[in-house]
Order: sequence, then structure tokens, then C-alpha cells
Amino acid sequence: MQDVYILGVETSCDETAAAIVRNGREVLSNVVNSQVAIHKQFGGVVPEVASRKHIENIALVADHAFQQAGLHFAQVDAVAVTNMPGLIGALLVGLSFAKAFAYGLNLPLITVNHLHGHIYANFLEHAEIRFPAICLVVSGGHTSLLFMKSADEYDLIGSTRDDAAGEAFDKIARFLGLGFPGGPAIELAARRGKEGLYHLPRVFLNRDDYEFSFSGLKTATMNLWKKLERRPERNADDLAREFQTALVEVLVEKTIRAAIEYGVETVLLAGGVAANQALREKMGEQANKLHLQLYYPSLPLCTDNAAMIAGKAYYNYLKADFAPLNTNAHPSLFSL
Amino acid sequence: MLILAIDSSTPVAGIALMDDEQLIREEFVNYKKNHSETLMPMVDRVLRDCERNLAEVDALAVTIGPGSFTGLRIGLAAVKGLSLAANIPVVAISTLQVLAHNIAGSDTLVCPALNARKQEVYTAMYDNSSSFPRTVVEEMACSPKVLAYRALQTAQNMGFKRITLLGDGYAPYREVYKEHLGDYLIEAPLHLRLPRASALASLAVASTALQDFADIMNLRPHYVRLSEAETRLGRGEL
Repeated sequence: MQDVYILGVETSCDETAAAIVRNGREVLSNVVNSQVAIHKQFGGVVPEVASRKHIENIALVADHAFQQAGLHFAQVDAVAVTNMPGLIGALLVGLSFAKAFAYGLNLPLITVNHLHGHIYANFLEHAEIRFPAICLVVSGGHTSLLFMKSADEYDLIGSTRDDAAGEAFDKIARFLGLGFPGGPAIELAARRGKEGLYHLPRVFLNRDDYEFSFSGLKTATMNLWKKLERRPERNADDLAREFQTALVEVLVEKTIRAAIEYGVETVLLAGGVAANQALREKMGEQANKLHLQLYYPSLPLCTDNAAMIAGKAYYNYLKADFAPLNTNAHPSLFSL
Repeated sequence: MLILAIDSSTPVAGIALMDDEQLIREEFVNYKKNHSETLMPMVDRVLRDCERNLAEVDALAVTIGPGSFTGLRIGLAAVKGLSLAANIPVVAISTLQVLAHNIAGSDTLVCPALNARKQEVYTAMYDNSSSFPRTVVEEMACSPKVLAYRALQTAQNMGFKRITLLGDGYAPYREVYKEHLGDYLIEAPLHLRLPRASALASLAVASTALQDFADIMNLRPHYVRLSEAETRLGRGEL
């Protein structure tokens, strides 16, 4: 079969990204224009500001992806774009651009679920992954456990009842004045903090299912911080440490439990929170004990990027699963 | 010379195809605002019906604002995609000027008003006595009352006896305008009251002849207003 080149476009949150991937495996370019510095001054991602940056940069970023790959527009076989879930105004910029770009080159358009992209990031770097597998999807918007029969066939076995793990990181980072984005800010503070000075609940850990809840942990963290107000030894780093430990412990424990119950040999991490070093280490320790093979994407492919979108789209391309010109974007997920 | 005009800056979505000095096809939809779904199929239909393809288009025209933030971005993102893919230059024109051009040659002061929410309108003022609108007051967001006041003042200074209002920021505030403008006020006819892609294409003919093209790599909508968050940050509230 001939090589298949796919351009991926991703604008679901605060990164304007484009990438070209060959045969769903080989990343030829991966351009990410991050808006983190801009949103930092607002203390979080502002949807209107994000959309404004996307429309300003989208053509530049797409053009750059071709330059980096050393390809002409006419050499790609399809255009893939994230159409859900995400900030609707932001998604619409990428989708409208991708539709028109594909139309202008007479190429098929492929729409990709952002979360499928995150999961797929694992397959971009690891050709040897064996199925079935348990996949933990952890990001700013989602926390879910999947039982995967193959790279694009799976069942949802549990998810969060309230806040996503990444959302809890952001809210606690903001509450403790540690900065934005919350994930890296908490991780840094936790590294400075001392282990075991505080105790926070491990929510849902005693439940015999794969559901998560992080809203309770968030509230407990805030309440403890307020309660300690008059104590001179009160320290945000120490509390961040315990918060991260409590959150990671639940994620690891439930994932490993699922791996045992479903009898898999492989565990995958996906999504922005999979960049968290403590999560990677703790999951690695547990996986090792049970001789489970653990995979997670390298850092540039963990956070939002378009290579994962172009990679996932390869499966759609093989099945000729193309989107019509009237396809729309959706802020939330119909199903994972 | 073939010009494809694309407008999704307001609740209206419009596409027009202009061949030299002939308007050959126009689509206008002011029904359910779902530009993200309808715009590209409209582009495709217009070209197909006229047995043209994108490669034959000499220039793309787009309304660059003001208007609905999301609507402006859908139109501009589509134009950037088409332009980059098919290497077609882009003409970017003010939505307000396009509205004014609907009634070019009317020998009045024209004040297009677009709904800007928060009890305000986007407006600018044009001397419409010749074939193309000439800007006399720059784009701004203001209350309908301020629009009326500025319009009357400008008309009196320039010797206009009539002020024509149009746009979707007209009808909701009709009484305010009537009260302040009295006999000066003329309502634009209903069929010319909203942006027309044909008017955009018509203005783009002149810009294309002058090779007055925009750089799509840096082009962004003219929102006229900052985002809410930027305004609050500027006021020191964030």
C-alpha cells in the first residue's frame, strides 16, 4: 500500500496546533503554538481570548507544519481536525479552517474526538503495544478508565462523577496561589513539599467500581487550608504534596485493580495529566510488581497536539470514514 | 476576473460570485444561525451551480468585522483555509462598509448599526453620495442614543438632509432613532437592511483591481471591542 500522509489540526483549548503524520505512526512535523503565557495573566484559559489567538495563528501554524515536514500541500492525503470535545468557539476556528483547506485541495476531511487523539498518542511512539489493555484517560476535562480490545475498539468502564483530575489540579493550584497551568504548578510545589504532614481523603477508593470523584478532595483540601490559617507552619507546598499523593493514589489503585480484573497485560496513560511525573512513577511501580507493561506518551505528545489527531485519523482514512462539509463541532462528548 | 465573497459576520450567512462586472450567483440565509454547518456547503453550491471551481477564483472577499465574534471567525477561518490551499489572494472589508454599500449613491449620511449586545451597536458613518461609501466617522461601539447624536451632528456639519439607518441594530432601537433624528431619518428598505455578499463582492472588485490584498498569515477580525476578560484585566479587576 502507498504511504498515507495526514495533516492534523487541533484547536480545542489553548494550543493552536498542526502536524503531519505518515501512516498513522511517523510524526513528520508537530507544531504547537501555545497560549499559556497569555492565559496566565487571567489565571486560567479565557475562551474568547483563546479563540482570538487561534484565528490569528491558524494559517501560520498549518503552513509551518508543511515546512517542518518538507512537504507540499498536494502531498497530503487527508485533513484531520478535532471536532469535540472542547471550547466551542475554539473548536470552530480549527474546524472551519480544516474544512476549507481540505475543500481547497480536494481532500477528504476527517473529524477526530480529542480524547481518542490523546489515547492514540501512545501508538505513535510504541508499535509493540499488545491488547487487550486498560487505559486511564486523565485530562483537564476527563477522567475515565477504558477497557481496550484494540487501538480503536473499547468499552468505558468508569469515569469521574464530578471534576476531572486536571480540573482539580487547576482549581487547587489557583486556590493555593501556585499559578497556572495548575498541573505543572502543583507538581513543582509537591516536589518542594514534605510528604505525610497532612492527610486528605482517598475518595471512592473503598468502592468496588471504577468511578472517580475529585470534587470532594478539592473541597477537603480547601477546608484544611482554611482550618490551618492561624498555624505558622502552614505550607502550601506540603499541602500540594498531599493533594497530589491522594489524587494519584486513587488513579493508580483503580487502574491497577481494573487491569487485574480484566486480565490484561498492558496499561496505558493518556491525556494532559499523564504528563504528571508522580503519576507516571507510582503507576510504574505498581505495574512492575504485577508484571504489567505500562506505556505513556512522551511529554510533547501528552499535552495537546495535532500529531495525535493526524495519527488517530489514519484509522478513519483506512475505513474511508470521512466527514461531510456540513459537519459541526461539539463542546461536549456524546460518548467516549 | 472571478470573485468569491463570503460573509458570516452577523446572523446572516451569504455567498456571492462576481464575474467581472456581473453578479452571477448569490446565496443569502437569515434562518437559524449555524454558519459552521452551512457556510462551506453554500460555497460549494455556488461554485457548482455556476460550473466553476475554486482554482478559477481570482480573489476571495471576506467581511472582517465588526459583528458576531464567532461568526467573524468562522468566515475568516474558512477564507484562510481556502486561500492557503488554493493560493488565492484575500480582500478584507468592513462589515459596516458592506452594509453602507447596499444603498450606495443614495446621497445621504449612512449609519449602519449592528447589534453589539449590552444595549449597544457597532456603527460607523459614511458619505454615500458617490458610487462607494466614504468613511466619515470610524467604527465604534456605542449606545443607539450616542449613534443618533453623532449622526445628527455629522449630517448637520456636512450638509446632509437625510440620515439612512440599516443593519440588525436598527429595528430593536427604532424608537430611540426616531425620537432623536426626526425628519432626518430614513429607513433602508427591508431587502437591503442586512449584509449582502453581493455588496461585499462589489466592493472587492475595486480592491482586487488595486491589488489591495490582506496578508492571511496575520489577518484577524476587527472586533472593535476587547474580550470581556481583557477589559476587566485592563480595569485591574483580574
